[in-house]
Amino acid sequence: MKSKLFIFVVVSFILAGVFQYDYDSHINYFSEKNIFVTLPKGKTLEILSFGFKNFVADMIFIWSIQFYSNYSLMNRFEYVEDIYNIITDLNPEYKAPYYVGSWIMALELNDYKMAIRLLQKASKNLNNEWDFDFESGYYAFKYLKDYKLAEKYYRKAAGKPGAPSFVKRWQAHTVYMEDNLTYAFKMWLEIERGAKNKLEKNSALNHLYQIKFEIDKNNLEKKVELFNQRFKKRPYNLEALKRKGILYIIPKDFNGDDYIYDFKTGKIKAKKVFRWKKFS
Amino acid sequence: MKIRAIALNTFKEATRNKIYYLLIFFGVFFVLSSKLVTLLTLGDKVKVLKDLGLASINFFSVLIAIFTGIDLVYKEIEKKTIYNILSKPVSRSCFIIGKFFGLALTLFVALISMVIIFFLFMLLFSGEFDVRILVYFILLYFELLIITSISLLFSSFSTPILSSVFTISLYLIGHVIWTFNEFKDKIVNPIIKTISYILYYILPNLEKFNIKNSIVVNSDLDSSMILGSICYAIFYISALLILTILIFNKREFK
Amino acid sequence: MKAIEIMGLKKTFTSNFMLKKYNVLKDINISVEKGEIYGFLGPNGAGKTTTIKCMLGLISFDSGESFICGKNSRSLEERKKIGFLPEHPYFYDYLTAKELLCFSGMLFSIPVKKVKNKAKDLLKLVGLEGKEDLKLKKFSKGMIQRLGFAQALINDPEIVILDEPFSGVDPIGRKELRDLIISLKNSGKTVFFSSHILQDMEMIVDTVGIILEGEIIKQGKLSDLISHSVQYYEVVFKDVDESLLKSNNIGFKLKDNNYITKLKDFEKLNYIIEFIIMNHGKIVSVIPIKMSLEDIFLKEIKG
Ligand SMILES: Nc1ncnc2c1ncn2[C@@H]1O[C@H](COP(=O)(O)OP(=O)(O)OP(=O)(O)O)[C@@H](O)[C@H]1O
Ligand SMILES: [Mg+2]
Repeated sequence: MKSKLFIFVVVSFILAGVFQYDYDSHINYFSEKNIFVTLPKGKTLEILSFGFKNFVADMIFIWSIQFYSNYSLMNRFEYVEDIYNIITDLNPEYKAPYYVGSWIMALELNDYKMAIRLLQKASKNLNNEWDFDFESGYYAFKYLKDYKLAEKYYRKAAGKPGAPSFVKRWQAHTVYMEDNLTYAFKMWLEIERGAKNKLEKNSALNHLYQIKFEIDKNNLEKKVELFNQRFKKRPYNLEALKRKGILYIIPKDFNGDDYIYDFKTGKIKAKKVFRWKKFS
Repeated sequence: MKIRAIALNTFKEATRNKIYYLLIFFGVFFVLSSKLVTLLTLGDKVKVLKDLGLASINFFSVLIAIFTGIDLVYKEIEKKTIYNILSKPVSRSCFIIGKFFGLALTLFVALISMVIIFFLFMLLFSGEFDVRILVYFILLYFELLIITSISLLFSSFSTPILSSVFTISLYLIGHVIWTFNEFKDKIVNPIIKTISYILYYILPNLEKFNIKNSIVVNSDLDSSMILGSICYAIFYISALLILTILIFNKREFK
Repeated sequence: MKAIEIMGLKKTFTSNFMLKKYNVLKDINISVEKGEIYGFLGPNGAGKTTTIKCMLGLISFDSGESFICGKNSRSLEERKKIGFLPEHPYFYDYLTAKELLCFSGMLFSIPVKKVKNKAKDLLKLVGLEGKEDLKLKKFSKGMIQRLGFAQALINDPEIVILDEPFSGVDPIGRKELRDLIISLKNSGKTVFFSSHILQDMEMIVDTVGIILEGEIIKQGKLSDLISHSVQYYEVVFKDVDESLLKSNNIGFKLKDNNYITKLKDFEKLNYIIEFIIMNHGKIVSVIPIKMSLEDIFLKEIKG
């Protein structure tokens, strides 16, 4: 009797499940019809959540992850900024939605400015965290190629407590990419002085070598051109520039070695070969 | 006959209790708030009225479903009136089924009263009578029956407060579980995947009964899906009722 | 065939979380003949209600057997033959007396029309005439008890089981209920009732079973238990010289100018009476003091 009843329970559940399965297969839960078109603003929701705003934020966040990982949906990004603004309005100290939201915006939607907006909101709400600014800087650097903007974010990140040393190196590199060579040189000197290990020091020295080379190369090639205009021929070597009074001191590279001057092209080369190039 | 006697008695108890106050409260609430809302909105006032009416009928009937179910079974055991029933040639399954039908009748009458208030009001206000709304009420009624059988299940072994908490939680879960429909397929870990599958199909899935939106925005109703939903409800309720009987058969009345 | 037969019934309650076990019924053996009134006697907490609940299938038990008319008392079929009045009965207070009886009758699948007539008769029988349409909310405790009695009889049961039928009923009501129980017996029904009101029991029962801490410690015909136990004779007399009594070694107590003597011996009784008359005394009364159920009960309980 008892086992018979138990079988009935199981069979009924299975039949109910069959109907559920059938129902699910007929419906696309995230189709346009089912997307809620209007979401109240964060403040309204905060009132409506009756004191459970953190919980509501969690629920919307969890839901948003489901929603945005559904690739069959074409227009799912329409409300992405609104949704993450609501979540972060409800629970401004909750870190995960900033990360996830900015990743969705940047990596899926490729809207880096939107991602940076969200990250900057995070940076404002979580004032002591360096990594939101760092990520903002990264998107600005890598995708927007707005080095001035990137430098601003890196500088903000570097100024926050607990920021690792590479933040400052990224900042210096951005300054270099901005073609502000003397400032970059100064920054790298600072980094070199504050380096904690050999690797950091060597990296700084390499950068210093390259930046000094670029500064000197620009300067020297300009002088060579001046010589060429004045005497209708290129100088035979760099000593000639000094002799004719165009240059007072012939600069040496960061290691104290002479630069290599190619008479035929008028170009300057350094003794050391560089591992990285300015990418653009 | 025995089942009918218990069912009718349950209905009598429910109606002589305070359930009708809730209905009166519904009427007043609906009329007053619709006056307010229509003052505050621009444009399609009929839509807003419909929204409001359906939402408040939904809310009040769910309240009635959860609390009368728990209250009546608990009282029967606590006040020992159940001795008078089970000491007679009445099996425990008879008792549970009688209770269920009594509650079903109570809900039916309560729902019908609210629906009549709603239709009268809509008729006065807009002069239109949308029969399709009846489909919504039929589906709502099946949802209410599922909720009632959940509350019966919990009150067959638990205290009223715990039963209310469990029932309300399952009601809420029932309305969000559809969001996990696709999620459960993406789980990699086979154990967690199996568990999620079992949970997905065992937990009540109530959002399918909620066709408020399609009704109000006048979109098409799929009759085969509505029938499917009703079949789902029938099997789900049978499963819960038999499970309740299994538990109730073991129960001692101290 | 016995009307009720319980053999070796054992029941343990486990408290919350299975931490503790209470041996509530240790070994219950009861046998009730058809057509008799059986009194189930025991102090509070002895296990009377528990025994009855086990018998009716309201709770489970660990071991033992319980029969009604030779069949399992917990089966639905046998319950048709039983009328039951629970301890401290409580009925739906939103119903009227008539509605309650109709509801009870329907649970026995008795046709509504028949139940309605029956209900009227029963209400008259238990002295609730004119209260048919009163809500139970407004019933007093004694009235509820009577109504409980009535609903226990709705199916014209062969066996009536009453758990503390007299509790909360006034002396007049108790007399009426006693008469009712006797009239049930006269109409051929078996009555099984528990109580700790000894006087009521002594007046009507044929058989008593005494339960103590979950065990039946005595069971037998009331007449057998009481008859051969005249404890002593009490003689009350007056107008006899005190010194005369003393010199004849007759012990006495003085009360309101009467002398009272207690005698165990029947032989000595004649001698004393003769002595009093010879000495021009007057005999006020001679009473044989028998052992009451109460004495038996107290004696058994004290060991
Ligand atoms: N649910 C329970 N859990 C634990 N112990 C219980 C339970 N119900 C009863 N008992 C215990 O069983 C014993 C017998 O109880 P029962 O109610 O049968 O006594 P009774 O003889 O009917 O007493 P009374 O004359 O007071 O009605 C008591 O000691 C009681 O504490
Ligand atoms: Mg008792």
